[in-house]
Amino acid sequence: MIILAPTIFRNPIMKKADIIISIVFIIFSCFYAFLTKNLPVRNLPNTLGSDFMPWLLVICLFFLSALLLFKSLFMVTPEKPDYKISVKEVSGIILLTILVFLYVKAMIMFGFLLLTPIFVAVLMFISGSRKWKEVVIVAVIVTFGIYFFFCNVFRVPLPGGNIF
Amino acid sequence: MSGTVTAALVDVLQIQNLFASAVGVVFGLFIGSTPGLTISLGMVLLLPITFKLSAVTSICLLLALYASGMTGGSISAILLNIPGTPSASATAIDGYEMAKKGRAGEALGIAVASSFFGGIFGLACLASISPFIAKVALKFGAPELFALVLLGITLICSFGQESVIKGLIAGLLGLIIMTVGLDPMMGTPRFTFGIVDLQAGISFLPAMIGLFAIPQILVGIAGDVPVIPEYNSKITGVLPKIRDLTKLIKAMLVGSSVGTGIGAIPGAGGPIAVFLSYDYARRVSKNSSKFGNGEPEGVAAPESANNAVAGGALIPMLTLGIPGDPITAILLAALMIQGLVPGPLLFQQTPQFVYSVFWAFLVANIMNLCLTFSTIKLWVRILKVPERILLPIITSLCVVGTYALRLSFFDTGVMFCFGLLGYFMKKHGFPIVPMLLAIILGPSLEEHLRISLIISQGDPTIFITHPISLIFVIISIFSFTSPLITPAMKTRLRNILRIGAST
Repeated sequence: MIILAPTIFRNPIMKKADIIISIVFIIFSCFYAFLTKNLPVRNLPNTLGSDFMPWLLVICLFFLSALLLFKSLFMVTPEKPDYKISVKEVSGIILLTILVFLYVKAMIMFGFLLLTPIFVAVLMFISGSRKWKEVVIVAVIVTFGIYFFFCNVFRVPLPGGNIF
Repeated sequence: MSGTVTAALVDVLQIQNLFASAVGVVFGLFIGSTPGLTISLGMVLLLPITFKLSAVTSICLLLALYASGMTGGSISAILLNIPGTPSASATAIDGYEMAKKGRAGEALGIAVASSFFGGIFGLACLASISPFIAKVALKFGAPELFALVLLGITLICSFGQESVIKGLIAGLLGLIIMTVGLDPMMGTPRFTFGIVDLQAGISFLPAMIGLFAIPQILVGIAGDVPVIPEYNSKITGVLPKIRDLTKLIKAMLVGSSVGTGIGAIPGAGGPIAVFLSYDYARRVSKNSSKFGNGEPEGVAAPESANNAVAGGALIPMLTLGIPGDPITAILLAALMIQGLVPGPLLFQQTPQFVYSVFWAFLVANIMNLCLTFSTIKLWVRILKVPERILLPIITSLCVVGTYALRLSFFDTGVMFCFGLLGYFMKKHGFPIVPMLLAIILGPSLEEHLRISLIISQGDPTIFITHPISLIFVIISIFSFTSPLITPAMKTRLRNILRIGAST
């Protein structure tokens, strides 16, 4: 049976995430509506402007986000228990983001061949590999394997770097 | 017509295409048999490579991966009770029981043979049904096409999702993402913020790679993946006897029919098909009481079903341009990369390519049968490759693959952003597939919608005055309202029955 009473206090963690997400989506739909309002419009006879589809989408998103908020606040549903993000996960995400960012930024300077073994080795270390021989062998094989296939088989040039 | 069919066969039998099929089978078996790696992930990793290949070679590679990935999933399901792919879940029930009784070789043999049977059954249905559907679909105008695309997206958003609202929000986000870039009809820039790279819109390839691969890498790095046990027993008697296989024909037919039927419904997918086929096979079997305790029919039915799903899922993808599952969505993207637009026009404009797809699927299934039987012991060893080695390889391939698309690291950034988005979506119960499908079909949806409204001079009733379009609209509305209405109706009905019984 549908219970029309705020459930946030009864099952705080599970509903909290959905409530926050629905509010984020409502704010996002307002922001998207603001951007849509400022779109350059060309008025041609018998045509629909560039803003037609975005307006349609923003209305739907706002409505569905409001529905999700309502459902999270007032309805008891047999949903999965919460989705907590652990500290390990957060640190993993941050670490991978930084690593990929640095890899891409440094690629222009150092090039694919020099940087990729280090990138692979660090990733292996993060993934739990502690045998340095295994790390070195895999890092070198992966780098040269990718380089060979992309450059020689598929004819895709990989960045050479500025310092070479 | 026979000339076109023969030309397509000759094309598929070219050495480079046979080689691509073999590579696809080997890669698919690796992906399928490794728990944690999905066929979708394997496909997106190969997508950047298809840029440099011809359309037929690309389809040979990807279809072979699709077919063998489904088979590969059964190896870890049977030996370790860990399905390599979600579609191998039902195989684990009886397959693992057989392995525990020392019949691992027999179970693997049945799985491979049933996969072949299911694949060929699915192909036969695909080849016989799709030309007729395509012929009917040729009569579709803009309103019908809009309603059809809408139906595809809403079915995926609502079918089998935990929350329909979240599924629809995910689909809407995908459509919103696709509004970035130049307006397809007027050429007006939308939401580009002055960034030149955004003018061409967000390419669906980096988005796809990010959505499928990065969440898996992040989960692996976070270390929440269970440790995979090792299988050390000897495997013998893999090649099944014809006499034993004939006893399983009924189960295979049930599995293949259910698999093809379910596969053809957008959004239903392999996991539903395998459990349904397992259940049906159990009901019609003489040995129904032995199901769950190592019954070979319990392996044959789901294994033939999961390979038949491939043929079924290709029917709406090729004829209507509506993918049946995430794998066919990636296949659709692969064809779009090659400048081919799946749908009824594909059958009219490039019939040779369509026949090439059929032949490629047949070659993929034959190669899958031969290579799997001859190398099965190798794949058992592959199960031991640790994640600490796999994850860095996948990450490097994702970065390099997205860079190779346009020789730009902008796409790598897009890929990573989508990866993070996909990770958080998964964590919070938002399905990824609706977003992916909306990203692929979004431009087509907008185009057909706007053309329809221009034809009707802004009158939206055009979608309900055209009978076919009306049918699609009704099914669309039903698909996302039924999960909301059904539980409430069930509760009400239960209450009425309870009151009736008490009075």
